[in-house]
Amino acid sequence: MMKKKILILPPIFFFLILSILFYLLIIERNPSEVPSNLLNKNVPIFEAQSLFKNEKFISSQEIKNEIILVNFFATWCKPCRDEHVYIKRFSNEKGIKVIGINYKDNSKKTTKWLKKLGNPYSDVLIDKNGKIAIDWGVYGIPETFIVNSSGIIKYRHVGPITDKIYKKINLLINENE
Amino acid sequence: MSKTNNIIFTKIVIIALILCINQFFSNISYAVEPDEILKNQEYELRARKISKNIRCMVCQNQSIDESNSPLAKDLRILIRNKIKEGSNDKEIYIFLTDRYGDFILLKPPLNLSTIGLWFFPFIFLMVGIYILFYHNKKSR
Repeated sequence: MMKKKILILPPIFFFLILSILFYLLIIERNPSEVPSNLLNKNVPIFEAQSLFKNEKFISSQEIKNEIILVNFFATWCKPCRDEHVYIKRFSNEKGIKVIGINYKDNSKKTTKWLKKLGNPYSDVLIDKNGKIAIDWGVYGIPETFIVNSSGIIKYRHVGPITDKIYKKINLLINENE
Repeated sequence: MSKTNNIIFTKIVIIALILCINQFFSNISYAVEPDEILKNQEYELRARKISKNIRCMVCQNQSIDESNSPLAKDLRILIRNKIKEGSNDKEIYIFLTDRYGDFILLKPPLNLSTIGLWFFPFIFLMVGIYILFYHNKKSR
């Protein structure tokens, strides 16, 4: 009787694991998207040259006291152009401060690109060799981070902002306000 | 088997053998470019060893030593710069995992979140052996 009970255990165990795997398959998630290791941590300390302002950007002085979106973008990245309309909506309609980090790009092209599409960024920082991106754990642009008023990273989205993500980010901003 | 069939069979075997050898050697190819290689051989060996353990976050199934992605190249250069600056291997691994998490390590460390990954295969093997042994004993 005892042996029979023991024999039943492995199939139950196996079925349980199979159910978990099946659940992971059906829920909405992107398996290739890696969760950020910086979530709930302070923003990395960095300095960068600003594209339009003739001064150095020091993260510890600029990223504080309000909710900020940090957006990694480049003119050569098609999804960045696709999400630009949403970045503008955050800045123009919601009045959220958005800092753009221009990843491995040509400054002249960026200036032209922003002139054509509109500049939603309060500051555009130059990341010529991708070092700032590495400090933020970025692996594929566009990437967008929500930083709360205490300078803590609350959310990271990899890929272009879509209508659904726009709504999600708005919700998270409201929650963190 | 006729002589023609024999020749065709030999040709197929030779082609399959060439493909296998090619596949075997293609797996040990690497993406390090000549301008990245450090002059100090000891440093270069350390950099290669670390790079082989670091996952390319873009391709995800390759190490940065094998990947041609721009991020992999940036990380290879970063590792070499850190070695030149005097960082030890542990400091470099910490620098990378602080930014990209344990996922960047091709061999995940043993901790609470990876315990299943390390021990489930062993548990399954034990359960399998037990069932086989029990079934065998019963059928006798």
